[in-house]
Amino acid sequence: MSRFGNSVVLLLVAVLALAQSSSELMTPDVVRIGSHLACLCGACNNTVANCPMLECHYARPAKEKIYRMVAEGRTDEEIIQSFVDEHGLQALAVPPKEGFNLLGWVMPFAAIAFGLLVIWWFVRRYQGVRVAASGADDEVFERYRDRIEEDLSRLDS
Amino acid sequence: MENLGSLAIILAFCLSVYAIVASVTGKIKRNPFLVVSGERAVYAIWFLLTFASALLIYALLTSDFRLAYVAGHSNRSMPLLYKFAAWWGGQEGSLLLWAWILSTYSAIVVYTNRRRFRSMMPYVTATLMVTQCFFLILIGFIVSPFEVLAVGKEVVGVADGNGLNPLLQHWAMAIHPPTLYLGYVGFAVPYAFAMASLITRQPGDAWIHTTRRWTLITWGFQSAGILLGAGWAYSVLGWGGYWGWDPVENASLLPWITATAFLHSVMMQEKKGMMKVWNMVLVSATFILCIFGTFLTRSGVVSSVHAFAQSPIGTWFVGFLALLIGATAYLILDRLDYLKSEARLESVVSRESAFLFNNLILLASCFAVLWGTLFPVISEAFTGEKISVDAPFFNRVNVPIGLFLLFLTGIGPLIAWRRSSLESLKRAFLWPAVGGVATAVVLVAAGVRHFYAVMSLALCAFVAWTIFQEFYKGSRAIRSRTGKNWLAAAVELTHRNTRRYGGYVVHMGVVLMFIGFTGAAFNKDKTVEVHVGDHFAIGRYELRVADINSGENPNYAWSSAEVEVRQNGKLIDRLYPETRFYKSSRQGASEVAIRRRLHEDLYLNFAGLSEDGDNKAVIQAYVFPLVSWIWIGFWVLMAGTLICLIPSKTRFQFARTEIVGMVKEHEPVRQ
Repeated sequence: MSRFGNSVVLLLVAVLALAQSSSELMTPDVVRIGSHLACLCGACNNTVANCPMLECHYARPAKEKIYRMVAEGRTDEEIIQSFVDEHGLQALAVPPKEGFNLLGWVMPFAAIAFGLLVIWWFVRRYQGVRVAASGADDEVFERYRDRIEEDLSRLDS
Repeated sequence: MENLGSLAIILAFCLSVYAIVASVTGKIKRNPFLVVSGERAVYAIWFLLTFASALLIYALLTSDFRLAYVAGHSNRSMPLLYKFAAWWGGQEGSLLLWAWILSTYSAIVVYTNRRRFRSMMPYVTATLMVTQCFFLILIGFIVSPFEVLAVGKEVVGVADGNGLNPLLQHWAMAIHPPTLYLGYVGFAVPYAFAMASLITRQPGDAWIHTTRRWTLITWGFQSAGILLGAGWAYSVLGWGGYWGWDPVENASLLPWITATAFLHSVMMQEKKGMMKVWNMVLVSATFILCIFGTFLTRSGVVSSVHAFAQSPIGTWFVGFLALLIGATAYLILDRLDYLKSEARLESVVSRESAFLFNNLILLASCFAVLWGTLFPVISEAFTGEKISVDAPFFNRVNVPIGLFLLFLTGIGPLIAWRRSSLESLKRAFLWPAVGGVATAVVLVAAGVRHFYAVMSLALCAFVAWTIFQEFYKGSRAIRSRTGKNWLAAAVELTHRNTRRYGGYVVHMGVVLMFIGFTGAAFNKDKTVEVHVGDHFAIGRYELRVADINSGENPNYAWSSAEVEVRQNGKLIDRLYPETRFYKSSRQGASEVAIRRRLHEDLYLNFAGLSEDGDNKAVIQAYVFPLVSWIWIGFWVLMAGTLICLIPSKTRFQFARTEIVGMVKEHEPVRQ
């Protein structure tokens, strides 16, 4: 086969591989349920609903399965559970808010709470211990205070 | 040739060990000649690694497929630019680039400080060379870029290489990795100065003043690297996203966040002598996270699209990270006495506490991203079951944190140092707050019901107003004194205090980027299969596939759709989305067509022809409102960073706490 012929075959293979015929799969039901499910293709961090790869080897059959189960009259919970039964908890797009995995959700906010505690400690520490100037008379102290106030007001203006 | 390359790397490794030993011994034994010879070893390492890199580039450009690296990441038909970019297209080459950039930075540091900081410099050199030594072990002994294919076996040779991954054959991707590396590696310098300052028990802030520019420049490179990656993902991957919360994307974000926190909290140390321990922690965390990010990309610990082929270097990285964390923690804890705060916090309503909150929120965001990235591994270790932590998790956790950070961006710069009175707060925030609330009201009245979108745009208006107000007030004062026009007065104002006003420009860039991020709440997408001549609509656009063409060149075969774009029946544009098939790697890739406008992008991906033999074109169409503002914001952010690097016209003497008497501990103060 000629070089051009080879290329045409390659192009056809590529085009066939990239093509899809069921864009109608993306019904509101599939989008809603698919947004709770992780795309487990290993190449993206998207959900089944928004995985952009038309021929994704995971998201495409998953969308078909959701479409089929919705047509059978199954509820959202049943459909999601069937994915969990098949693939385990990793089928969910986010960790379930129970058991150990609750920690996944709590920790970022616990970190903020911990940080606030640290700030509270910091503020107390650095407000609580005041420098008592002894040995410097009030006049000297006042002079420095005025100078600092003046510098700062110039700085902030 | 390959022998020379390997020899250069091994010699560089030996010299890096020598530089460490000579610098430290020279310092301890007070032998300046030894210290200088250690510094000269740094220059020699740069020459050797430049030579090794030049050899690899020559092999790539001349398609020397005897080398496994060249055969694996290049081919004859690739354009010259991408042959060059293959230097960092694979594991071994990118590690060589890492080592080369580090050697360049080290040589610059040693040269520019050859007469300064003589007590600290030996340890700066030693710290840099420890990192250099680690990377040279990797490319010298574990994953050599000069490995030769089938030596001693009866293999004739490789006719052509595999070529660079087609997705990487894009100009933004050609410069994204080195830009990011310039940022990652650059943080080795502030870290080295920080460690040297701790080792030599420096009482002052010399390391901070010296590394201020380094920190800013490397932060700029990190920002540019991250945004180039986002821009590449947007215009190449064909799904319209610019951020996917992939573990490796997250890994690049982590040191950027801590570096941002450092750039802010360092001002507390410069102006008030506070937060010294914290700054040490932040600069160390940033560098350690840079190494951690490199480890994450190359170890296969988490699955990622960015991951390089798995190799045994993961264990080495764990060892190096343990060494870094252990040594840093020991030094900071051992030297706490030298890091005592010189001032106290006077009021919760002050610039100081705004910085504290800024740091808290930045670190919380950093932790949330790190936690989400590692949680699948942690959860599996504890429960034995795999879980997924995908984009929805990161969005849910980080959107509120990001909005609070945006709020602080507006608040922080306007609160006075030490304490702010109610009156001054009112003066500073009344009109910006009115602007923010008015924006929210207008948006809700216009029918926008997305809570976060309304919040985000209202906060953007608030922050933009505070920044505008600052420029307006300052420029007005200069105008009244000098009679200059507004623009000249604003330039003069900025030039007088480049860090302050450059910082505002950076904040403005962040505001513009948030406007772009907010647009994602209103994205539209549609996938259609249409015959040539058929119409379909998305948003306000009517689209018609006018023609489909195909062809080929030595590198790839292509097929392109000509799509007419109409609005209200009037032809406004023609777009040509294309699909390609790269011959040597046998992989497909999209060349999307984007109609970029300030208010929204129309984004078309031609996915090929339908498989039912009906010759329908499969088109994915997207409308992305406001997305261009992300890229505009990026340029503004870069401009602001550059302004910060220009020396100020007026040298400020900051009021620092002066000791006016002895401290009597535990004695209450009379108010």
